[in-house]
Amino acid sequence: MQPPKILMLEITGVSVVYESSPLFSNLSLTINTHEIVALTGASGSGKTTLLRCIAGLEPVTAGTIHLDSRDITNQRAHLRNIGMVFQDNQLFPHLTVGQNIAYSLKIRRVAKKLTDQKVREVLSLVGLSHLIDRSVTNLSGGEAKRIAVARALVAEPQVLLLDEPMTGLDTDLHSRLLHDLSKLLRARGTTVLHVTHDHAEASAIADRVLDLRQLIS
Amino acid sequence: MTTIYNHSRASNWLAALPIVAISLFVGVPVINIFISSIRLDSLSLLRTTAIRDIVWFTTWQALASTMFALLIAMPVAFCMANFKFTTQRIITSLISMPFILPSIVVGVAFLQILPRNSRRTAFALILAHVYFNFGFAVRLISTRWLQIHPHLDDAARTLGASPQKVFLTLTLPLLRKATTNAALVVFTLCFTSYGVVRILGGPSRSTIETEIYFRAMQMGDVSGAMLLSALQVVIIVMLFYASTKIKRNTVEQTSRPTISRRKPLRTKIQKIVATIIISSATVFALAPVFAIALKSVITNSRFTIAAWREVFRNPDILQSLSKTILYALVAMTLATLLGLFCACAIVYGNERLRIISALTTMPLVISAVSIGLGLIITFDQRPFDWRGAQFMLPLAHALVALPLTMRIISPVLQTIPDSIRQASSVLGASSWQTWRNIDLKIIRRAIISAAAISATVSIGEFGASSFLTRRGAETLPIMISRLLSRPGDSLQSQAFVLATLLVLFSTVIIFVIDSLDSSSNATTENSHA
Repeated sequence: MQPPKILMLEITGVSVVYESSPLFSNLSLTINTHEIVALTGASGSGKTTLLRCIAGLEPVTAGTIHLDSRDITNQRAHLRNIGMVFQDNQLFPHLTVGQNIAYSLKIRRVAKKLTDQKVREVLSLVGLSHLIDRSVTNLSGGEAKRIAVARALVAEPQVLLLDEPMTGLDTDLHSRLLHDLSKLLRARGTTVLHVTHDHAEASAIADRVLDLRQLIS
Repeated sequence: MTTIYNHSRASNWLAALPIVAISLFVGVPVINIFISSIRLDSLSLLRTTAIRDIVWFTTWQALASTMFALLIAMPVAFCMANFKFTTQRIITSLISMPFILPSIVVGVAFLQILPRNSRRTAFALILAHVYFNFGFAVRLISTRWLQIHPHLDDAARTLGASPQKVFLTLTLPLLRKATTNAALVVFTLCFTSYGVVRILGGPSRSTIETEIYFRAMQMGDVSGAMLLSALQVVIIVMLFYASTKIKRNTVEQTSRPTISRRKPLRTKIQKIVATIIISSATVFALAPVFAIALKSVITNSRFTIAAWREVFRNPDILQSLSKTILYALVAMTLATLLGLFCACAIVYGNERLRIISALTTMPLVISAVSIGLGLIITFDQRPFDWRGAQFMLPLAHALVALPLTMRIISPVLQTIPDSIRQASSVLGASSWQTWRNIDLKIIRRAIISAAAISATVSIGEFGASSFLTRRGAETLPIMISRLLSRPGDSLQSQAFVLATLLVLFSTVIIFVIDSLDSSSNATTENSHA
């Protein structure tokens, strides 16, 4: 028997106006706990902006966002517990791989011993334990992407937002990383909203694939 | 960097002239200062309480000035790098203006705006140094801040960092190199400051730099002056060496992110905070220059333009004005050409020519007063007795300006991809034609900026000029100092007229440089698009 579906993220009637022209209006979307949803859409349709609104990095003009029944529409980004992997990774260049991953734990003042343990665990999950002391400026595209995912996962976010995470990777690496990522996210039971313009990628990773236009009423 | 000019012998020849000029007119005089200071058995001078007090005062006032300049610069740099507002360009220019004002003008301005009992105090000195340097620190720090990708902040926020934590754990470490550079340059400038200390320090507040002048020119103790000059060089060199250690482990990102950090002011709090910070900085930058302009039209407590009329009738002042312009033109031409040659030699030449970069740092590390002193003690015997030679002053000015001109042209030259030159070669252009039609056209704005800044340096230069200027051929800063030292409200007003002229000139220059800079940025953005 399948576990009951519990609503994790609920977006209701969200509109975003950008420089006095609407980017999208009245958009609604729900994601259940442990569900991986892929969102597709043309370039410039507002996929990334939607993710940024959910993460609290951009304000919404209208509508509400609820996370685990809690209204987070006007809550500041650092208080939401929503993780995000950026298209270009955005690893902190002044920190090593290990320090990048430990960042969120250090911010929350987690004990050093536990932090080290969690960093090693998550690095082992993405298969890059040997890079713990490496500078992030010397990583390959695939390694940087895995580190970005590991950094987001270690914070144990209630929802993980992936913004076109496979962009810029060659075909081989793309399919390998997609497979590993899907396995990792399912194993951890992470709730994910994955944004991509690639329908094949969306179908490969997600439980549900939605087009942004379908969400606008 | 590999370029199509790498195998050209011309790049080696280009390096020869600046190497000879710096070695002969900076290197040899400095070596002479060191040899003479050791030979003259005057090391006991360093043990005297008076000298120890001077070294201590020089150090702590420079440290305090640097600390306050950075404290004021940080919030202004924050606004400049993170917010977009309509008057941004003009405010950037206005805030930068104090840095290119002649030091004597800054001293004179603070003499005017400070209450009588604070005029010749350490407070006045530190305030003037902060005024002089905070705009430079704002520029350096905000430029680096703009290079930090805004999504890095976003990533930190999604990982649970509050805005304060983002600043402490991400922004500050990424700004470390720029902040260290700004601190180093500001400290060096305050440590070797001359004009401001001469005016605001008075006889009771000496720094190493003014003590070198007083000992050499007023007490006749040239050996003591040389020893102090050597001590100053050693301290600054040690400081530069220490700073390279600090900067070694810092991360530097040189390209601007594709997304701008600058966002319009959205919330009420943002608007209030930005308005307070920016308007305070602008008032701070403008108040002293307005005070000078006002003082130039007030004589004996009456509003009058008599001083302005007098200035343009006084043959001594007119001669000083014409000499200053002549020296500035010669210094500008020399500094720009030498700076261009250095930049070309560094970018096109082989690894060995990198030595030029270190050589051109010498005039930055060695104060203008030491350069002036070194020149008069080195070239004092026939057939090289050039102490009274007309060319010495513009030459010294050019050497003081050379590190700046080289550092303005060289980064622009380095950004030119060699593929463009290769395309030109493939189309049949010779190396010379390629250089003239590609490199020169791209760097011409930088050359104009370098020329403008070297002219400003020459016109306002006071340290080396104090040693090298001759009666009847005084430059404007020397003339201002002379007028101020004489009694009489009318003469003082004339000094303020000359100071106002220097302010006007500096203002025009900073606006020209900024407009060239913004149009070159626009060109770069268009070419990227």
